[in-house]
Amino acid sequence: MQEQLDKALEFANYRQSFAIQRKTLKEKVDAKLTYGFNGGIFKIDRSLLNFVEMLIAKGRTENVVLLDVNDNPISIENLESFRDEVFDRYFTATFEYLEEYQKIKKARSVETLLEV
Amino acid sequence: MSKGIVLFAHNNRQIDYVRMAILAAKLANKNLDVPVSLVTDPSTIDWAKESGIEKIMGDTFDKIIITQRPAEGSKIKNYFDGNNRTPAPFINGNRFSVWDHTPYDRTLMIDTDYLTLTNNLSDYWDADEDLLISPRYNDIQGKERTGYLDTHISETGIEMLWATTVMFTKNETTKVFFDLVEHIKTKYKMYSDVYRFNPLLFRNDIAFSIAKHIMNGYQNIDEYALPDIFSTADRDILVDVKDGKLKFLIAQNNGDNYVATSVANKDVHVMNKFSIMRNYDKLMELAQ
Repeated sequence: MQEQLDKALEFANYRQSFAIQRKTLKEKVDAKLTYGFNGGIFKIDRSLLNFVEMLIAKGRTENVVLLDVNDNPISIENLESFRDEVFDRYFTATFEYLEEYQKIKKARSVETLLEV
Repeated sequence: MSKGIVLFAHNNRQIDYVRMAILAAKLANKNLDVPVSLVTDPSTIDWAKESGIEKIMGDTFDKIIITQRPAEGSKIKNYFDGNNRTPAPFINGNRFSVWDHTPYDRTLMIDTDYLTLTNNLSDYWDADEDLLISPRYNDIQGKERTGYLDTHISETGIEMLWATTVMFTKNETTKVFFDLVEHIKTKYKMYSDVYRFNPLLFRNDIAFSIAKHIMNGYQNIDEYALPDIFSTADRDILVDVKDGKLKFLIAQNNGDNYVATSVANKDVHVMNKFSIMRNYDKLMELAQ
């Protein structure tokens, strides 16, 4: 019984470390998906990516106004270069997220979690 | 517009803040690529000379601004290192003077125990806001360990801002703000009655929160803010730094059980200053 209890406690320790690592990783990615541009602050998410791409598809590529995280209007002179930057940041951040998330998922002990 | 970082360091007998400032400055300079200046006092400079770090200070800081040492008074704070407690004077009552001292048009003021390990704060230099402060404490363990007094200045008070990171443009509006912080410090007891907080130990976080509350017309306003302050508590222990990872033991719910975790490529506020000093050389390697 003692051995089973020790194993359960060891697993509980592992799950706590795992939860903290996962929280830290998610926040790291959130920070990377924050983009300051022309006085505004943008959260790079699917909604922003879709909206920007839709505007470009409609031929609205210059002097566009986007609302930022505080719903302040921000003038974007060249929407295509803005799009390139936000897409680049999005893919960089999410690929890193995937890579590191897989590492912590595979780590089955506290020791290996710490090396991720 | 010139940009730069300002740190304050006033040593006490237990903690060598100026050495911590060198580390914080080197990390910030590497990751944010802007100059860093130091505000300190004559006795701290004397100690730096005596301990042989004067040259590295000269190499690290853009400018070293020597000012009068803030009065210690009876302000004794308990500095924790895990479960060990060290009482020492808390000498940080002159942050409001950053407006006068900063050599930059746009300034980021950070605490000396704030380790800048990313360039995330670079996105805020051009934000269209004269003054940005972090609105939230973000505990490494999570909300379980975040108390009401981490988010509010008192049980019945306004929301707390965290003066660990503050960014501002030097102009008339921010001059009014920092003058107001000084006024609140001077009349701290009176403001503690109005805002219902414990006045025993002066806290910049509280003075900055009240000043912002007043300047915003006594209300919360949607405005730009710096990222949450990702923090490890002073009962947590930084045990090692290896391959770019900071390995911590986290005091679960601030109790006696510890949980291991690691942090990499993320700015982190390490409140356990003793554990920063124990890992000083390894942390300095991150700034190379």
